[in-house]
Amino acid sequence: MTQLTFNGICKRYGGRVVLDDFCLDIQTGEVVGLLGPNGCGKSTVLNIVSQLLRADAGQVLLGGEPLSAACRARIGLCPQHSALYRDLLPAENLDFFARLHGLAGAERTRRVAELMEQFQLGPHAGTAVGKLSGGWQQRLSLAIALVHRPALLLLDEPTGAVDVQARHELWSLIEGLRASGVTLLLTTHQLAEAERLCSRVALLQSGRVAAAGTLPELLAQVPASAVAIIQTQDGAAARARAAGLGWGVRNWAGQLACLLPQPLSLGEVVASLDGLAVTSVSVQPVGLEHAYLEVMQATAV
Amino acid sequence: MFQQTLAVARRLLLEQLRQRRGLIFWAVFPALMMLLFGLVYAHNATMRAGLDAAAAGILMGAALFFSCLGGTVALLAVERERGTLRRLLASPLRPAAYFMGVVLAQSLLAAVQVVMLVAIAYAVGARYHGSVTLGLFIVALAVLIYVGLGFFFGARFARRSEEVVVALSAIGVPLLVLGGTFFPLELMPAAMQKLAHLNPILYLNETLKAVAARGQGVAELRVELAGLVLFGAGSVGLGLWSWRLLLRAEQGA
Repeated sequence: MTQLTFNGICKRYGGRVVLDDFCLDIQTGEVVGLLGPNGCGKSTVLNIVSQLLRADAGQVLLGGEPLSAACRARIGLCPQHSALYRDLLPAENLDFFARLHGLAGAERTRRVAELMEQFQLGPHAGTAVGKLSGGWQQRLSLAIALVHRPALLLLDEPTGAVDVQARHELWSLIEGLRASGVTLLLTTHQLAEAERLCSRVALLQSGRVAAAGTLPELLAQVPASAVAIIQTQDGAAARARAAGLGWGVRNWAGQLACLLPQPLSLGEVVASLDGLAVTSVSVQPVGLEHAYLEVMQATAV
Repeated sequence: MFQQTLAVARRLLLEQLRQRRGLIFWAVFPALMMLLFGLVYAHNATMRAGLDAAAAGILMGAALFFSCLGGTVALLAVERERGTLRRLLASPLRPAAYFMGVVLAQSLLAAVQVVMLVAIAYAVGARYHGSVTLGLFIVALAVLIYVGLGFFFGARFARRSEEVVVALSAIGVPLLVLGGTFFPLELMPAAMQKLAHLNPILYLNETLKAVAARGQGVAELRVELAGLVLFGAGSVGLGLWSWRLLLRAEQGA
């Protein structure tokens, strides 16, 4: 069942087009990641769904219905920056938002206790939120977004400002949410995050969906069995050699990337480049990063 | 909506209790002002007669003004700066419920301030001569007027917390001066007096002084009280309008 539909969403800030005919369908229970360069409109998409922004054109449907004030009860938002009440305790923050969502009495108390346990906030129950580390604040922020049991959870760069350990802990928590059946739409700059968490990824370029699909579908956008990244002082000669070998040649953000039609070992690639002034070579299996760079280059305006 | 109003008020009161700087703002500062002014007035026989009115002026000018108006300006700046305002916007919270929650929290703080300052004033020799009900009615109007103005100034002039002091110094302190907090109206030049008559703080000061120090009642003060009720309604309207404009601006950000 389709949970969320974007039909031709357009949004401008002054003269700058941020979203331009943005279209995407998200099914119930899916985890969809929005990936793209800074300013491509990822956060704007989340802000429109959470009704913090209005689209200039197009329509967003939640469960088949146009967005309305009543939809706020079905949507949870975890903003990029924690946005918490720093003088209050974690449970007091949860309690406040539970009250705003209309949870009353024993139900509210039970929900706050559940989330404190689910997000393992117990050891920090007596600490003012402002004194918690960034990772624990983000954990609480995620818990607040879930306080009213939303069907759709929006995560705006959920691990963008936390350390590596906290990032892995947050990923485990988000995986737990995925297992519970909640639909998730998240923005991220981290390809590893998208690979680990998302059942589908949409790559955004200039406010449009440049490509969308499951990880295998996106990887199929790269016409290669493996990718060789080559550093050389004689780029022209290396490109000519690679092209002569039938390899696809790309310039990905200033790097010479060769798309290998058959899987080759590092030794075989190095041997193929014999006689060139090569400083380093690596052979990598095709990954989301390659698909991202390939799609971005192919769809660049 | 009522539950949301209670939730906002509860949160604000919890935050006030936790913030030591906030405690200085709404409790220590006005208490010290009342004590120091009271001791000076009590020490000088020629000034002793003015002590009852001075106590009313300190309640309006030093206590309620800074906690209700200043506190509301600071609240909006902090909500914007920390991003919590956007989180509230994504929740089902109604704008009017937030406004009323602030009014409710400030009313409860004002009640504590009144009890504390009256106790100090009595200790230094001041006496209250009028109707307690009428005095509390004027205090309630002061809370409404100050919170409404706080929403207006906070929404229009204080985007960041460091701008709060600037907004209060540039706008709030002149309002206090023109409100007769530091000098009686009679000492002001004619043009200044005309300007002062547009200022609700003047009516709050003068009306509470008339009740507290001279024991005047509704019959003598009906014009001033009617004016204050109108100021209260206007201030709430202005505050709600500014608040909605701010929320709309945040949604366009």
